[in-house]
Amino acid sequence: MQHVFASNDGPIEVALVKDGETYTLEGHSLTKHSHGRLRLLLRDGRTCLAHVAKVGDTWWVHLDGRTFRWERVEPGSSSASDEGGLVAPMPGKVLEVHVMEGDVVEAGEPLMVLEAMKMEHRIVASEAGKVTAVHFGVGEQVAQGSTLLEIEEAS
Amino acid sequence: METIIRRVGGLEIKVLVANRGEIACRILRACKEAGHPTVAICAPNDEGSLFTELADEVVLLSGDTITETYLNQQQILAAASKTGAAAVHPGFGFLSERADFATAVSEAGLVWIGPSASAIEKMGDKMTARQTMRAAGVPVIPGEEVDGDGEDALATLRQAAERVGYPLLLKASSGGGGKGMRAVHEPGEFDQAAAGARREAIAAFGDGRIYIERLLLGSKHVEIQVLADQHGRTIHLGERECSVQRRHQKVFEEAPGPTMTPELREAMGEAAVAAAQAVDYVGAGTVEFLLAPSGEFFFLEMNTRIQVEHPVTELVTGVDIVREQLRIATGEPMSCGPLMIRGHAIEVRLYAEDAANGFLPSIGPLAVFRPPEGPGIRLDTGVREGDEVTPNYDPMLAKLIVWAPSREEALEKMRRALDEFVVLGTTTNIEFLRDLCDALPVVDGSTTTTTIDDLWPSGWNPPNNPMLEEAALLAAASAETMGLHRRNATGDSSGTALGPPSPFTTLQRRYP
Repeated sequence: MQHVFASNDGPIEVALVKDGETYTLEGHSLTKHSHGRLRLLLRDGRTCLAHVAKVGDTWWVHLDGRTFRWERVEPGSSSASDEGGLVAPMPGKVLEVHVMEGDVVEAGEPLMVLEAMKMEHRIVASEAGKVTAVHFGVGEQVAQGSTLLEIEEAS
Repeated sequence: METIIRRVGGLEIKVLVANRGEIACRILRACKEAGHPTVAICAPNDEGSLFTELADEVVLLSGDTITETYLNQQQILAAASKTGAAAVHPGFGFLSERADFATAVSEAGLVWIGPSASAIEKMGDKMTARQTMRAAGVPVIPGEEVDGDGEDALATLRQAAERVGYPLLLKASSGGGGKGMRAVHEPGEFDQAAAGARREAIAAFGDGRIYIERLLLGSKHVEIQVLADQHGRTIHLGERECSVQRRHQKVFEEAPGPTMTPELREAMGEAAVAAAQAVDYVGAGTVEFLLAPSGEFFFLEMNTRIQVEHPVTELVTGVDIVREQLRIATGEPMSCGPLMIRGHAIEVRLYAEDAANGFLPSIGPLAVFRPPEGPGIRLDTGVREGDEVTPNYDPMLAKLIVWAPSREEALEKMRRALDEFVVLGTTTNIEFLRDLCDALPVVDGSTTTTTIDDLWPSGWNPPNNPMLEEAALLAAASAETMGLHRRNATGDSSGTALGPPSPFTTLQRRYP
């Protein structure tokens, strides 16, 4: 059984081997489950319990004190992340907007200030360029990952 | 045999808790134990929160922002009047250190569960507090207060800086939480730093007055819990060490202090009691000190309210501080006997935040929230499984507190407890806290206020463990193959961060 998960280092392909009620991968085996808990026999001989939950397309796994998460990529779909935009690193409210469409900015120049949970976060230009779009105004709420503004790199 | 139910002293008093989340739960439960009826207030975006279920009555406030709800004195007083509440407990944060609210509550004929407005005011203005403490013989950090907040005050400040010496700290007199604060390491940096601190102070507090303190590098943050009743008794409950901080917020607190001696405890305790008495303090409060490597200690500030980390003191002294607050407010004498410190307690703060990404706040559903259990473990939580973490409030979800006979055993217990703590659906700092428990300064008790920055100068990252990661991938892939998510799933969740993820996509969980 083949599954693909997205990670920061690119897609991870997982080829499971199923034998009866046992699943194996890279020398680890998973033997049973109950109430969302999975019993694992690690390849170093230890056994441990994993807790799993799926939220949206993301699987969350707690194992041996660590928490991992991967987004499962549906077969046939492709990643459509917005490479050119500046995205909100956290959900919050727009506190300040320092640029307008058409402005030319230097690398490191502050563009926007977000606020969430008593904390301010400054969005700065990573490269010099021209602002081609500003998607949010002061006071607006932004979700994590929303594209805040777009900058066309200076040629 | 006749059963007699009798209240031991004191009167029944209906308490309105002017707070939310974890601390509201803590206070509501204490009121229940003391036999006081309770009223919770609740913003529309807090409906269904755990704390609202612990109150006898809930008043739904109107408004979208904190200013319109939990900071809205008129609405809160109206809620008290409507429900016939006779006392207000402010918790921490929000209106807890607002002298004008303490006054308004008293003027409405209600009992304010906290110190007098005048005590709040004297301790709230940091320059006044330093002057008051100096007069009371409490050691303050060497430094100077400068009057006025105009441009010309900057020149006076610069002269004062020369007398205080570098490195130094500029602090806003109305400040708190690191706002309006700047460290200055050499004279060349002074002008820019002073202008920045002043600007920030004016923006945040409408008060640009700045004072100077010598920067005491390598210091510990040690604070003393005090209690004072209306019968003239002021006592201290020993110290807490809370040196481990990120962005001026504490994350790891313990009692007793790992380097504390009985002599130093007595000296700091006496100074704290003197500080409280200097402002005629009544109720529970905390006097914060910096403990320099030389063994000298200096007054930092007094927090005129219950503190987040009060449980560690409760566990080692056996005193229920919130219960004592209620006793004191209703005019009873406090019930504490002589100070006895037993064993060791550690608290960590569970935040919805991404420790590997500059501690940025995170949101999401608490699809699984399974706290550790067992002897010596206490969880003060404002959330439970199925709740949604939103960007509307402080990202602190809960506090995990352990007690054991020794510090070493308390750390072992905390490691076990953090390993067992399962939170899925929202990123938390659990793994960071667990890693912290293995860090050398934490293990040997040599933590200082810069420990986190010293340990991870370029930011923390979870330890790399490819073997475990593969096993976790096996779990995720197997769970997908088994269709575990489909058992209860609606299957329509988009998985993007834009919409609130459906709690129905989580697994049915039951524990025997």
